[in-house]
Amino acid sequence: MNWRIQLTWWDKSLLVVMAVGAVFTLLRFACGIGSIANINNAYPWSWWVGYGIMTTIAIGAVGFTITALVEILGVHRYHPFLRPAVLMGLLCYSSAITMLTVELGRPWKVWMVLVSWAPTSALYEVGWCAFLYLNVLALEFVQVPLEQLGWERMLRILRVIYIPIMLLGVTLSHLHQSSLGTLLTLLPHKVNILWWSDLLPLLFLFSAIMAGPAVAILEHLAAARWLGFKPRMDLLAGLACIEAWLVALFLAFQMGDLFYRGAVDAMLSASWFAVSFWVEIGFGLFLPLALLIMPEVRESKSGLATACGLILAGVLLHRLNVAVIGLRVRHWETYTPSLGEVGITMGLTAGAIFAFGWLARILPIHEELPPPQTSPHPAAQPVGALRGGEG
Amino acid sequence: MTTPAVKPKAMIQDNTRCIGCRACMVACKSWNDRPADHTEFFAGEGYQNPRDLDANNYTLITFNEIVTGAKPDWVFGRQLCMHCEHPACASACPTTALSKTPLGPVVFDESRCIGCRACMQACPFVIPKYDYENLAPKIHKCTFCADRLEVGLEPACAKVCPTGAISFGDRDDMVAEAQRRIAMAPGTYIPEIYGLEEVGGTSVLHLSSVPFEQIGYITGLPKSPMPDLTHRWLRLTAPVFAILYGLFAGLSWIVRRRMRHQEHDGEKG
Repeated sequence: MNWRIQLTWWDKSLLVVMAVGAVFTLLRFACGIGSIANINNAYPWSWWVGYGIMTTIAIGAVGFTITALVEILGVHRYHPFLRPAVLMGLLCYSSAITMLTVELGRPWKVWMVLVSWAPTSALYEVGWCAFLYLNVLALEFVQVPLEQLGWERMLRILRVIYIPIMLLGVTLSHLHQSSLGTLLTLLPHKVNILWWSDLLPLLFLFSAIMAGPAVAILEHLAAARWLGFKPRMDLLAGLACIEAWLVALFLAFQMGDLFYRGAVDAMLSASWFAVSFWVEIGFGLFLPLALLIMPEVRESKSGLATACGLILAGVLLHRLNVAVIGLRVRHWETYTPSLGEVGITMGLTAGAIFAFGWLARILPIHEELPPPQTSPHPAAQPVGALRGGEG
Repeated sequence: MTTPAVKPKAMIQDNTRCIGCRACMVACKSWNDRPADHTEFFAGEGYQNPRDLDANNYTLITFNEIVTGAKPDWVFGRQLCMHCEHPACASACPTTALSKTPLGPVVFDESRCIGCRACMQACPFVIPKYDYENLAPKIHKCTFCADRLEVGLEPACAKVCPTGAISFGDRDDMVAEAQRRIAMAPGTYIPEIYGLEEVGGTSVLHLSSVPFEQIGYITGLPKSPMPDLTHRWLRLTAPVFAILYGLFAGLSWIVRRRMRHQEHDGEKG
């Protein structure tokens, strides 16, 4: 098969961002975390965890939400979204793992998590689940290149284990998406009342599920534009309808939680926390919900892109509000992200987007596109439900 | 010879007896092989130095300028790991690099640490510190001189304190002693033992002549153990896994069967 692609202006820009990230990463490994990062003794996580891990994993939720929709709930008309979703999931989790090797003080020891028994640690659960789920995603996705290469025996094995593995992936996702919230339930004295809740695990899980279809819609629109196919507006409208329900339910859940916890005063206070909160709720939930309940928005490309972009930005801001902006330690040290911290995360995100664009051009990821003509085994049997074609 | 049952130890930090000589800081550095720092006075009040605990300073006497009576006075406080009865740091550690020993110290095992800093994030007292400049960084905090305790010695700081501001013994005795001191001299002490109930109790008990927030202590902490906050959720992991997997498997099976039937009917039709 042909691994080469014609680099576009977009690819080149992404490569530049990746190069900048790589320089900062080199510095980090040559001179230590302290040489490029502003994280300190009072704020040991901040941007790398809030964005690099928590937001990336939330975006990666597109993998399990679309898988569950198509493979468990059996809504097969959304099948065209499945392969892109699994690939995005795989890339998001790979990006988070790479982030981890930069962010951990002793990345060469990370295997210790797998030989420890620490059931009281939320990070232990996140580590195990994310590790296993990354393998699940890899097994799900590897079928696509294997089909191209025509490795029949491997494909037969994968076909047999596909359903239990797929179910495992969806289950593990529920567990670790919520455990990322559990991590922060330990910090009632640090996280602002607007975001610290007993129910953070459920809030994180539901917001990740909410992010799923929004990311799938955005990807479809972007791919249609840059890879050149006609977007499936009928399917997008249906997915947008599901998304509207998810946003409405999450909004009700988050608001209910805030009222139940008596955080109304904090919501109405004149503070930057309240401003950040209302930006998150207003632009991340209310506005996209108002947009998505209008049929004309659900049927328009720009409308969908705006609404889903806002939802995605809202989820990002929610993660940042919980883990960075709303997290304040009663201590003299302060924190603002450094160029190096942001540079590395941007490089990683650019890398994930670049990898997606590359793979989407050399492998049959989008059903709307004709399969790449270079396959030496065009007659290879499609596998399980991840098969390339409909029905 | 029978070994006596291990009784958890504790320290009293009686700030009313502290004269700010910082012998404890010197002894701590000495025992723990911490290098000397080149420090500068920071923008704060008084002669406190260094500003904060860090990778080279596991304990610190804080100098607080407080008006007591008519004139300003120094009221000393001390920062060190509290060695919680239910340590949040140890509960957050994904590799059990931190653990509480039966004698009371919360100890760090460098060989298990992956450097995730969850312990630093979890600690309600902001105690564990990191050497970010190091290429193989590790967590630094007071060890309660666990190695000394093992052989029946008291912590280095307690050993050298010239005014009896640091007392060491069985935790039960230390609690009784702290209560006795407050009862004997109600004018000297505020009626509060910092660490008796904070986050479920700690192995370091602080006494003070002024409210603790005035001498830089983090107050208003919950009385219940911090690990309970995550334990409530994490204990559900195994059952939730089983239930969800079963639920998804069942759903998927039903849906697939229905689809097969539809296909079958389609063929017949």
